[in-house]
Amino acid sequence: MKLLVCVKPVVDLETMPGPHYLRSGSSGNGTTRYRINNFDEFALEEGLRIKEACPGTTLDVITVAPQNAGSVLTRALGMGADHAIHVLLELEGYVSPSVVAHLITQRAKEAGYNLILAGVMAEDDMHAQVGPMIAELLSVPVATAVVHQAVLDEGRAVYVEREIEGGEREALELVLPAVLTVQTGINRPRYPSLSKYLRAKKQQPETIHAAAQRAIDPPETLLRVTEPQKLRTGLILEGTPEEKATRLLGILREKALIPEERHAEP
Amino acid sequence: MQNRSILIVADHAQDKVKPAGYEAIACALQLGSFHQLRVLAVVIGDQPELPAQEIAQKAGLDVIAAQTPGLAAYNGELYRAVLSNLLDELDPAYVCAAHSSQGADFAPGLAARRGAACITALERVSFDADRVIFSRGASGGKLVAELISTARLTVITVQPGAFRSEFDNSSTPGSIEVRTVQFQPKRSRSLGFKPGPAGDKGLSEARVIVAAGRGIGKLENLSLIRDLAAAFPRSAVGGSRPVCDMGWLEYKSQIGLTGATVSPELYIACGISGTAQHVAGIRDAGFVVAINSDPNAAIFNAADLCIVEDLTTFIPTLLAALHKQP
Repeated sequence: MKLLVCVKPVVDLETMPGPHYLRSGSSGNGTTRYRINNFDEFALEEGLRIKEACPGTTLDVITVAPQNAGSVLTRALGMGADHAIHVLLELEGYVSPSVVAHLITQRAKEAGYNLILAGVMAEDDMHAQVGPMIAELLSVPVATAVVHQAVLDEGRAVYVEREIEGGEREALELVLPAVLTVQTGINRPRYPSLSKYLRAKKQQPETIHAAAQRAIDPPETLLRVTEPQKLRTGLILEGTPEEKATRLLGILREKALIPEERHAEP
Repeated sequence: MQNRSILIVADHAQDKVKPAGYEAIACALQLGSFHQLRVLAVVIGDQPELPAQEIAQKAGLDVIAAQTPGLAAYNGELYRAVLSNLLDELDPAYVCAAHSSQGADFAPGLAARRGAACITALERVSFDADRVIFSRGASGGKLVAELISTARLTVITVQPGAFRSEFDNSSTPGSIEVRTVQFQPKRSRSLGFKPGPAGDKGLSEARVIVAAGRGIGKLENLSLIRDLAAAFPRSAVGGSRPVCDMGWLEYKSQIGLTGATVSPELYIACGISGTAQHVAGIRDAGFVVAINSDPNAAIFNAADLCIVEDLTTFIPTLLAALHKQP
């Protein structure tokens, strides 16, 4: 079987606070630090498990990303991917999921993958669109929010369970080729192995220049990024931890949310 | 825009329209008011009449009941095919569905097929300088991204809990058009449903819920959460998705759209980031206290009381204060 896993680089907000990642058109000055989107790590791990279970399977990993985000491919190779494809963007910032899906589809069409995996969404945009869009553009079936999968009939079909509301699962069978978007918790993603990682650092990924591809116009544009509105009053307690604790207990007691006669209990 | 419409795809189960389906209708009506667009609904299923009647009565919308013989449950391949045909005929400006396990599954593909813009998990629509602005959460709810569509068609999924669906039943009931659509999915086969982990009865009956998020750092710190819960009678411990994914709590304790929806009198969120999917699960909580060391955590936007502290030191301080007080 031939597998493709789509990984998105995301800016680590803990190390680079602010809405940086969404700013369109900022030139890649090389200082932004990227890591693999957490959801895509689960997709990659699931792909690696299929590869290990089905002899003769190869796993390619693809990203649509600016130059300095290519490091996510090194990590993916370190985890065990066979081949890395970098669809190179000239600018950092917001890219329409429709554009990303078209770019990945163009490369995927040539290769004829049996199964394409992606995370259910990206941590930053949270669109949850690229996977199902690729499926549609390739005219293959898709299952989203997959929490269990099993390849059947030597790669002719796949049985999946997808997560629906209230913790229930929906079971379905897809004829391959197909696309699965993977929900977190389906597995425990492995760490890269040191030897593979060191080898990967010397490897040059296959590079495709996005600008040279047949592009579509993005059907939506990002106007701006703002702060969320408050849903509740959101009183912020100030002071030392002890003062905050006393204040909190006072408020809870006023609202009769703390039992009055605590010490009466045995 | 003139003379175009908005098509609602209503989420339904067991002959009833789901609350998220009505919220998508509420969103569409607001969107329609900007351009005086006509709003109509479609219900897809092997027995679509009852949900269709419900929408026609309650929301006063005209409804197409697309009867698809043999479709016991949702099937994405079928939904996309039926809807795409309907779009050929109706040419609406917008398609609206709930951002549910169904809407989030079929909407992006439908948009790709039609070359449409796709706006998922929509939280707010506004109208400014002759443009419709779509606001949606990003980065776990820490930020809001405002998007505009430049396509002829925009496919929207509406975040559950973001729009209020209140219909006064005063409008004239809409008409219902039943049509039979024959379509057999060729590349996918639905095999039914499997129950999730039995819901934690403790969560639904608890007066106080103390919930743990990824911010608790490590499994050992769960004992702090349990200690805090133990300080309240009729309390229970719950958790956010990452905590269950890591196996620190069972999935039956997961709070959020894909887990349990809870309504305790007091909800204490400890180290929870506050994604829209989690916040929707605590919408009906009475009083929400959030403890998080990250002052920018999205949970603070959904809390009545915000405490920016490291919970590993703050919870012991809180418990000491609680035991010391008369």
